[in-house]
Amino acid sequence: MKLWFFLLGTAMVLGAPARAAGDAESSLREGLSEILAVTEGAKGGRPMADRLQPILEKRICFESMTRRAVGPGWRQFTTAQQEEATKLFTKLIIRSYSSKFTPGQRPEVNYLKGTSPAPGKIEIPITILYKGSRYSIVYRMENRGRWLVTDILAEGVSLVANYRAQFDGLYKKGGATAVLDSLRQSVART
Amino acid sequence: MRDQKLELGVGAFMLLGLAALVYLTLKLGAGEFVGGDTYRVEARFANTGGLSQGATVMLAGVIVGRVEGMRLDEADYSAIVDLRIRSEVRLPSDTMASIKTSGLIGDKYIALAPGAEEEFLEPSARIIMTESAVELESLISKMAFGSVNEAEAGSPEESAATPDPAP
Repeated sequence: MKLWFFLLGTAMVLGAPARAAGDAESSLREGLSEILAVTEGAKGGRPMADRLQPILEKRICFESMTRRAVGPGWRQFTTAQQEEATKLFTKLIIRSYSSKFTPGQRPEVNYLKGTSPAPGKIEIPITILYKGSRYSIVYRMENRGRWLVTDILAEGVSLVANYRAQFDGLYKKGGATAVLDSLRQSVART
Repeated sequence: MRDQKLELGVGAFMLLGLAALVYLTLKLGAGEFVGGDTYRVEARFANTGGLSQGATVMLAGVIVGRVEGMRLDEADYSAIVDLRIRSEVRLPSDTMASIKTSGLIGDKYIALAPGAEEEFLEPSARIIMTESAVELESLISKMAFGSVNEAEAGSPEESAATPDPAP
């Protein structure tokens, strides 16, 4: 009997990473499917960003993404500044992500095998064929009760690293105020 | 007699030079030229793009470590790079490690960008957030040759009609 429990326990432990990869991929497939359904059916009416916002907020951990994008300066932000930065960065990412889609066009998505660099974290690469060009995207996901996207790499370039390089420079020059001003301007432009 | 002394002097000088060379090689290989105590962390990259052992690790443009070694993770064919970092440099757990090139055709190095987490990487820990080397050649070829299917690019109707492998 003990042997059965041992074998069952070992099988569960060994099977955990594969299950995690499956769960994360299902979550990603579900999210992308929802997004593509919206973009394909969107013709006129509400702006694309408004339509995609609820789906993206459900699938992306914007709080963690903002904190990591701001970098070391984040610890010096007040709670109010952190909340405002998260709100603005969320808006900026949703608007720039939404602007990439043309209503009525559906990209071809291929899912590749995901890898788990650490427990509770997974990277799922996909290739997208859209308007005749092929793009390689990697979704970095973390298990925070459910699988959420925490970073996106497009052609090897990380979204978080790209913004961190910019925000860190701004923070060193003008502190949290400079970062927030820049975010407000970027949101106003998009 | 005078010639013998000269030869002895040249020989001693050569030996000294060789000893210095061996010393430098050993120290550089161990990453000790980074200065004082160090600790090791590793970073996983999809592609190191020609990064070499002994390459510099920089943070804010300051050299804080060296690449100690590289190996292949046979499970997923990714590259695991061992970094030797100066012990006084504490790195938050969400530090980003990116492989960069100095100049257009210069040497590869690793740039570290610390994150906002309050936990720090322990010795032998792994940097999870990495950016592999961006291959300029492939980006240029994509820009130059861009479209993989010109027919689809110009025709939304055809594109919408094609079967969709996505869920």
